[in-house]
Amino acid sequence: MSKTDLTSDALAGLAGTSELLERQWAPCRYNCPVHADVRAYVELIAQGRWREAIDVIRDALPFAAVCGRICHHPCESNCRRTDIDSPVAIREVKRFVAELQGARGASVRKPARQDKAKVAVIGAGPAGMSAALDLARLGYRPTVFEKFPVGGGIPATAIPKYRLPRDVIQMDVDWICAHGVELVTGVEIGKDKTVDDLLNKAGFAAVIVAAGLSRSRSLPLPGGDHPRVMGVLDFLTALAFDKPVEIGRDVVVIGGGNVAIDAARSAVRLGAARVRAVCLEDEQEMPAWQWEQDEAREEGVAFIHRRGPVEVVRRGDQVAGLKTRKVTRVFDEQRRFSPQYDDSDTGVLECDTIILAIGQMADTGFVAGSALKLDSRGRLEYNPATHQTSVPNVFACGEIVTAPGSAVEACANGQRAAKAVDAFLSGREIRIDDALPPSIGKIDPDSPCFQAVKRAQRTAVAVEPAGKRSRDFAAVDHNLTIEQALTEARRCMSCGSGAEVLVDKCAACLTCLRVCPFGVPKVIDVARIDSDLCQACGMCVADCPANAIIAKGWQPGSLIERTKKELAALKGRKVVAYVCGHYAPATAWSAQGEDAIPGVAEIYLPSMCRLSTAEMLHALEAGAQGVIVVAAEIGADRYPGATERIRKRVQQGRDLLQEIGLDAGRLVLVEEASKGREAVRAAIAAAADAIAPM
Amino acid sequence: MIVAERKPFDEIMEMVASCKRVLVLGCGGCVTVCLTGGERQAEMLASQLRLAAGAKGLAMEVDFDSITRQCDKEFFANLKKDLASYDAVVSIACGVGVQYMGEQFASARILPGMNTQHLAANTAPGVWTEYCHGCGECVLAWTGGICPIARCSKSLVNGACGGTNHGKCEVKAEMDCGWLLIYKKLQETGRLDELRKLRPPRNWRKDRSDGVRRLVLKDMVEEETKS
Repeated sequence: MSKTDLTSDALAGLAGTSELLERQWAPCRYNCPVHADVRAYVELIAQGRWREAIDVIRDALPFAAVCGRICHHPCESNCRRTDIDSPVAIREVKRFVAELQGARGASVRKPARQDKAKVAVIGAGPAGMSAALDLARLGYRPTVFEKFPVGGGIPATAIPKYRLPRDVIQMDVDWICAHGVELVTGVEIGKDKTVDDLLNKAGFAAVIVAAGLSRSRSLPLPGGDHPRVMGVLDFLTALAFDKPVEIGRDVVVIGGGNVAIDAARSAVRLGAARVRAVCLEDEQEMPAWQWEQDEAREEGVAFIHRRGPVEVVRRGDQVAGLKTRKVTRVFDEQRRFSPQYDDSDTGVLECDTIILAIGQMADTGFVAGSALKLDSRGRLEYNPATHQTSVPNVFACGEIVTAPGSAVEACANGQRAAKAVDAFLSGREIRIDDALPPSIGKIDPDSPCFQAVKRAQRTAVAVEPAGKRSRDFAAVDHNLTIEQALTEARRCMSCGSGAEVLVDKCAACLTCLRVCPFGVPKVIDVARIDSDLCQACGMCVADCPANAIIAKGWQPGSLIERTKKELAALKGRKVVAYVCGHYAPATAWSAQGEDAIPGVAEIYLPSMCRLSTAEMLHALEAGAQGVIVVAAEIGADRYPGATERIRKRVQQGRDLLQEIGLDAGRLVLVEEASKGREAVRAAIAAAADAIAPM
Repeated sequence: MIVAERKPFDEIMEMVASCKRVLVLGCGGCVTVCLTGGERQAEMLASQLRLAAGAKGLAMEVDFDSITRQCDKEFFANLKKDLASYDAVVSIACGVGVQYMGEQFASARILPGMNTQHLAANTAPGVWTEYCHGCGECVLAWTGGICPIARCSKSLVNGACGGTNHGKCEVKAEMDCGWLLIYKKLQETGRLDELRKLRPPRNWRKDRSDGVRRLVLKDMVEEETKS
């Protein structure tokens, strides 16, 4: 069904508006590997509704706190705000709410009965824990075996603490375990127990191998057999567990990826006087994220590009340097990794320590004592469509079978494996539907809408100065403050949650076209509202004379329900204030502010454009003695022209009251919403006293 | 299109004052387009009625509904409310809708919520100006596309009266003299000769003088309605 086919008959079958929202996704959600409903949680954060926000996040993303710190955030990279000014800092607002809520912040929803089969998971990283969580949610009894003493996988065993403090990982692990996931640490499958033991003796109906890539890839460099030439994971894991690591004063890290940068920055923190990262790629080709490179440079790490390692130069029994040669190309014409060198151009980088960060590989020790097969290159045999290995009830997921990636990708793959296991154990054919709803497109830069969207500066995250942060492993950046999180979340353009025309009610009257602040509606035969452009302000929804425009992202009818509820809770005077929520402090949304005004129900709206004249009257019908509409001053309104339109609606409401012999003064407009809580409170209190003195 | 203006509230209230259950019924046609009789206006009038009834201590239940057009009976099937269950239905369609609903729902009491005005163009947001009188014999071909029936207060067909005053009408001073507009248009387009022809008296029977008018399209009518 295309968006223009929507009729009110078709709508009659829709439960709420959720089905409408599912027909097209915002690109943040579409591009998120676990398809977290980003817009939904960012909007909830924008309203200070932390608990609901973290529930939405964790519904799709078990490692919410970890990803708040280290996610490569494809949501942000695809944020439609990028073209307008800069993307919403989605990862930062996620971090804010995940860490604010802590391990017990999100709801734990699990079935009343978890009595389905036992499933063993090897590896407590993002993939394994995500698979275990989803199985627990389906009523299975998962046990995760982890060879390290902590859960969390690479985030816990290799990612430096300055990027990811351990208590943050623990929040996620604890929350996952609360769903009935048993985590057994310090047990290495293949050594302490075998896969066959799990299946045949311990009563597990299936096993999921999610062992990850826990070993450093080595490079057979002549002279490299030396304690001061170390694999990156040996180095980082030792640091992660606070084990003594000896490095020299002059460190060379071989590699250009994010792990190489972790190693280099860790070496700086261990006191190395000089740290250089040498890689095959040039600056553009380098796989490490740009911001990682920038922060490393600030901390004194130097990058040497387009050099390939040849041998470790030894002086006596000491490492004295790394001989390198010039790289003439890294990739071939098909962009495959195929480096070529110029052996006539060599040189020696003097150093006393070399860290090899050229990739990770699987520790396939779990194969021992099982029928699992490895392929000719030593990789676990597995079918990506069904996640099954050569043993039908042993499944695999995560980096051990996919390309190395980020934590969120591992989560997604683990969730997929859980579906496969569920199908298998339920006796169904394993057929995983990876189809997604389409993503909404870009905002046409030539559209009036593009110009009209208010520009809003992205909130900068406070980062410790380089000189300070390079001294120890303390976290380098700060969480947003509540005010910053609210401000940043309010930059979200609510993509895809806006207006939908019920074509069989539309009279083509042109009102939507005339009131839209963004020039989005077109009236051809009936109104057409392009969801790529709609900014979800709600102006047309509230002004359409045919009630033929509905909002995908909210239920207009719910406002009056809430109003009735809040009025019922008031004692004595009953006044409603509908307040522009764009500038509201977090406490305002909760309606539990300590500074509540006696006899006034303050109801905050994400957009004042959504408030119709009829709704103002309905509030009076619901028993309000007066209605105070608090909009932002003209110019400060979130949507251009919003306050001018609200003025007209309030005036219309006053005229309608006057017409029926009621005091028009019961409906009041205050234009002070952006002036801060104190001013807003005072204005509402004064208006309420003018309507109905206490 | 037909434009209609909502009746003064007091007049509506008086009509329904004795009713316990009232339905306000919008129309999705012309009156929605002119923003006076659509579903939203039905919602607001219903709200006003409830508030006013409440203020007067009257126990009145007021609902609202709307259908695509009140002048086509096929749409009546889409009514979500049972008209017969109300003491009164205030139709905020044009007068056509009020009567036609009344005809089709004999047991319901359909009351007019609107004063139907004229045939208009939407000359600016929120402004609808009369352009056509529905006279049954269009003369626009020789009047420069400006209607002397609708836009001359006296509906003259042979030129301006003596009351034109600096281009304004003597009947309504804020109104342009229709005939001056016609004259200027013909002058601009080099067709002033049109005014040299004396037009015979109009056949006013095609307007209202011959009773109720009816349009019958032979290719569409069903046998029983042909008579």
